[in-house]
Amino acid sequence: MIVDKIKKRNLPEKNKKIKIDIPVGKWAKCEKCKEIIYKETLRENLSVCPNCGHYFRMHINKRLESIIDKDTYKKFNINIETNNPLELEDYPKKLKSLREKTGIEEAVSAGTGKINGEEVVICVMDSGFLMGSMGIVVGEKITYAVEQAIEKRLPLIIFSASGGARMQEGIISLMQMAKTTSALTKLDKAGLLYISVLTDPTYGGVTASFASLGDIVLAEPGAMIGFAGKRVIEQTIGEQLPEGFQTAEFLLEHGFIDKIVERKDLKNTLSKLISFHKGGEK
Amino acid sequence: MAQKKEDNGEAIAKSMFEMAKLEVPIIAIVIGEGSSGGALALGVGNKVLMLENAIYSILSPEGYSSILWKDSSRYKEAAEKMKLTAKDLYDLKIIDKIIKEPTGDEGLKKIANNLKKEIKSSISEMNMKDKRQIVEERYNKFRNM
Repeated sequence: MIVDKIKKRNLPEKNKKIKIDIPVGKWAKCEKCKEIIYKETLRENLSVCPNCGHYFRMHINKRLESIIDKDTYKKFNINIETNNPLELEDYPKKLKSLREKTGIEEAVSAGTGKINGEEVVICVMDSGFLMGSMGIVVGEKITYAVEQAIEKRLPLIIFSASGGARMQEGIISLMQMAKTTSALTKLDKAGLLYISVLTDPTYGGVTASFASLGDIVLAEPGAMIGFAGKRVIEQTIGEQLPEGFQTAEFLLEHGFIDKIVERKDLKNTLSKLISFHKGGEK
Repeated sequence: MAQKKEDNGEAIAKSMFEMAKLEVPIIAIVIGEGSSGGALALGVGNKVLMLENAIYSILSPEGYSSILWKDSSRYKEAAEKMKLTAKDLYDLKIIDKIIKEPTGDEGLKKIANNLKKEIKSSISEMNMKDKRQIVEERYNKFRNM
């Protein structure tokens, strides 16, 4: 492609590594097929490469736009801030600069909205914000969302995208796993539907808590999902892992997830599942 | 912590989920190196006790420094920062009680006695409560973290 050549020629050697998560300017590069794609085309195609079908990671706003009916999303009004429990010097600064860069407050957005007219409580994570890691703010928002689903008697949908518990908040992050999981036992007791949607990447403490606990667990094609990373496991057990280990397809085959759903079909699949489950409610 | 080929994320989630629902009192005791999801999978207790010299953390100091600073050789610095000692965790209200570990002659025996005493008093305290209270108190403990 001619654009490819122009871009290559103009770029100094050290800038060759183009960040694909947050494409700059009007063009984005597919990390899989290396095709240069017009950003508008990519946006219209739900952040899926029109050339090779590779799934780009999605920004919270784009995800909400693709799932929730227009103008129906109401973000929960919870303003909490981490108290930086490990007193790390650069952590608050990092959060501040990430907020400016990404235009989002934290690694999750939680609220209510409608999916093809079906009212739900929805949480969407964003791996562009400190790898979507779960600290006290993410844990609190997810827990609050679960409690709101119980109070309003609504189905709960969580889109996971996370490297796991947030290292910067130490043990407090670890405890968010117990907190979110405990909240889900109440949702379960209330007999409400929880659909967990795993997107690339879902790892660590997020996999090991709410992401694995959906009544129905869906995943996007090709999403990488696991607890510890592949390299770490191989080093620990001293064995080669099978081909395709930790991909959504591998996990489907082994019964960890219920269905792989293409991005363009997610909205309709979710609304169908929700309406199926409304039948039993009196 | 054994890491199986099948990956153990779901097992940790399910273990915590079941613990959170149990209608009997749970006492979790950290006796050595407790870290990451493997420790927490058994740690959703009404009471969390910890031996004086045990550690309890999000990850091993080696793993922590490797993730945060891309340098696992900075594990000493990580261990200082992570607040993983019994004293730190008591101050952070993550654990309820520190069990003293006297050294010297009969040290182990004394530690075991301290543990026994603490387990006994925790049980008799919680035996006064009904099922609903036991589940609810455990819920609130983690809800506030």
